[in-house]
Amino acid sequence: MSLVLAQSGGFVRDRSAGASGQDACVARDGVCPSWIAENFDRYVEPLQRHVLLTVVALVIGFTISFALALLAHRRRWLVTPIVQLTGILYTIPSLALFFLLLPLTGRGFLTAEIALVSYTLLIIFRNVITGLDGVPADAVDAARGMGLTDRQVLWKVEIPLALPEIAAGLRIAATTTVGLATLAFFAGAGGLGDPIYADLTFKSNVLVAGGLCVLLAVVLDLLVLLAQRLLTPWTRAATA
Amino acid sequence: MTRTTKPDDGGPTATPAASLRFDAVQKRYPGNARPTIESLSIEVPAGEICVLVGPSGCGKTTAMRMVNRLIEPTAGQILIDGRPNTERAPADLRREIGYVIQQTGLFPHRTIAQNVATVPKLLGWSTDRIAARTTELLELVGLDPEFADRYPAQLSGGQRQRVGVARALAVDPPLMLMDEPFGAIDPITRERLQNEFLRLQAQVRRTIVFVTHDIDEAIKMGDRIAVMRPGGRLAQYATPAELLLSPADEFVEQFVGADRALKRLALGRVRDLELEEPTRVRYGDPVAGVREALRRAEVPYPLVIDADGRPLAWLDDDDLHGERIADGIGSEVAVVDRDDILRDAFSDVLQHRVQYAAVTDHRGVVIGILSADAVARELAPPGPAPVQPAEAHHGTGA
Repeated sequence: MSLVLAQSGGFVRDRSAGASGQDACVARDGVCPSWIAENFDRYVEPLQRHVLLTVVALVIGFTISFALALLAHRRRWLVTPIVQLTGILYTIPSLALFFLLLPLTGRGFLTAEIALVSYTLLIIFRNVITGLDGVPADAVDAARGMGLTDRQVLWKVEIPLALPEIAAGLRIAATTTVGLATLAFFAGAGGLGDPIYADLTFKSNVLVAGGLCVLLAVVLDLLVLLAQRLLTPWTRAATA
Repeated sequence: MTRTTKPDDGGPTATPAASLRFDAVQKRYPGNARPTIESLSIEVPAGEICVLVGPSGCGKTTAMRMVNRLIEPTAGQILIDGRPNTERAPADLRREIGYVIQQTGLFPHRTIAQNVATVPKLLGWSTDRIAARTTELLELVGLDPEFADRYPAQLSGGQRQRVGVARALAVDPPLMLMDEPFGAIDPITRERLQNEFLRLQAQVRRTIVFVTHDIDEAIKMGDRIAVMRPGGRLAQYATPAELLLSPADEFVEQFVGADRALKRLALGRVRDLELEEPTRVRYGDPVAGVREALRRAEVPYPLVIDADGRPLAWLDDDDLHGERIADGIGSEVAVVDRDDILRDAFSDVLQHRVQYAAVTDHRGVVIGILSADAVARELAPPGPAPVQPAEAHHGTGA
């Protein structure tokens, strides 16, 4: 661990910065508003990196899980092995996974993404399957009976009706990934983990980096929620 | 096949109904010792409602689902207009067969208009044509066009079922399959929907395979009824009247029920009976004249009508005093439509103090009187041994 920490020296506390009045606050490792104001731009690059790590992991994770779910939807026997496999991936401690991957993929973005994507698979896969299973059987029967092809039944009836469940899975995956991406720093992939682990004792630093994580998670969550509400107007129609 | 469905006002439709034939159709599922359907051969003439009825496990739904190839038979074939239904790809075949199921199968994520437009859209109709047809269909099934933009969850069960029927009729299919379409609806709404559907069918004249477990519904809806017994064996295929008058065997007799004489009431319409002439009076008429007219009347009570000939009240002896008939007196009149089925009309008659009902035409004008006696006479089975009306009365009172 110390090895990795040593390599992340790009982000060391700069206590000399700021007006002299703030020096006392910084020396106490406190929450110093003017230090934060002056040093905020130092967090922009890690934040951008964090967004990239999260969004790429979600897009790839969603694509893989969705494809697996569609495959398993028609071949039910696949569900159990897929859940088991993704479940195993889900249980590997993320730090352990980073270090296991280091000899194979080296330090950097790729290693971080492999780990982050692995953690989204179980969540999204299970929600897509649950969503597809929850589609009313009568709607599917009627669709087939009216002459929709299997593909049309899937894309015009089953997937739209599974959207709320799929979106729910995506939201959980998004918030989880934002949190896990702080560990990407250990794989040398940057992100908000960089400033956090650079100086865990300095409250101003941890507050800003941690706060940005929370903000990012909330924004992603709201974006998925908004997309879901736009795509599923029927769920808001008042029942008779 | 291209359709040339023109918007019409429910008049004769452009596409002719199809005939349907089950030819020694058999369905076996691997692992089941007994076949689900042993060997089914029935013929449904174009434009008729064929009801498949029987206890659960008799294979009636399986039989229906083989028509549009949701289930493929193990042996035998199904012919539509003389051509095997296996000649065409299942999806193409199904687009020309209306499909209505008990739980409606409406798409919760589509508006009512989008639901109704499902098959027209699959067939590539233009937007204008689809919009016109949707409005027309909603009207046809008695739904306000304002429902078009609502979602199924915003409708009542009865309304949803109407949408289901409208959706199935969208491209005016020559053949329709209906699986317990009114099964999940409360009895009062069900009866109304059944009546509406029969009126609709009189206009559109589609060939319909109708599945139900309810023999009363079968008798009411069917032109022909196929009674099926467990194991998918056809017990009897006959018109409702034949079924009630001469059940083929003990199974059919039991299934049809001991009250089959009474059930025949579901077959007749009020207009089929000989109606009696009422003594029509108005408020303000001289009492003496009414008493005079009543002496020659078939019905012992004068019927008060309004200026348009609509029934208002029955008068009895106590009401006939003074110089003229006083405004607003008398007791409530049971009113039945000439097109009502006898069973419903009879039950209306029995619920009123005066056991006569005023029969009206579609404008609400009185055209005659239906008496409990006339219904009882109808119940007496034909044949050499005449049954006293009193006996029939007895039976109905039980």
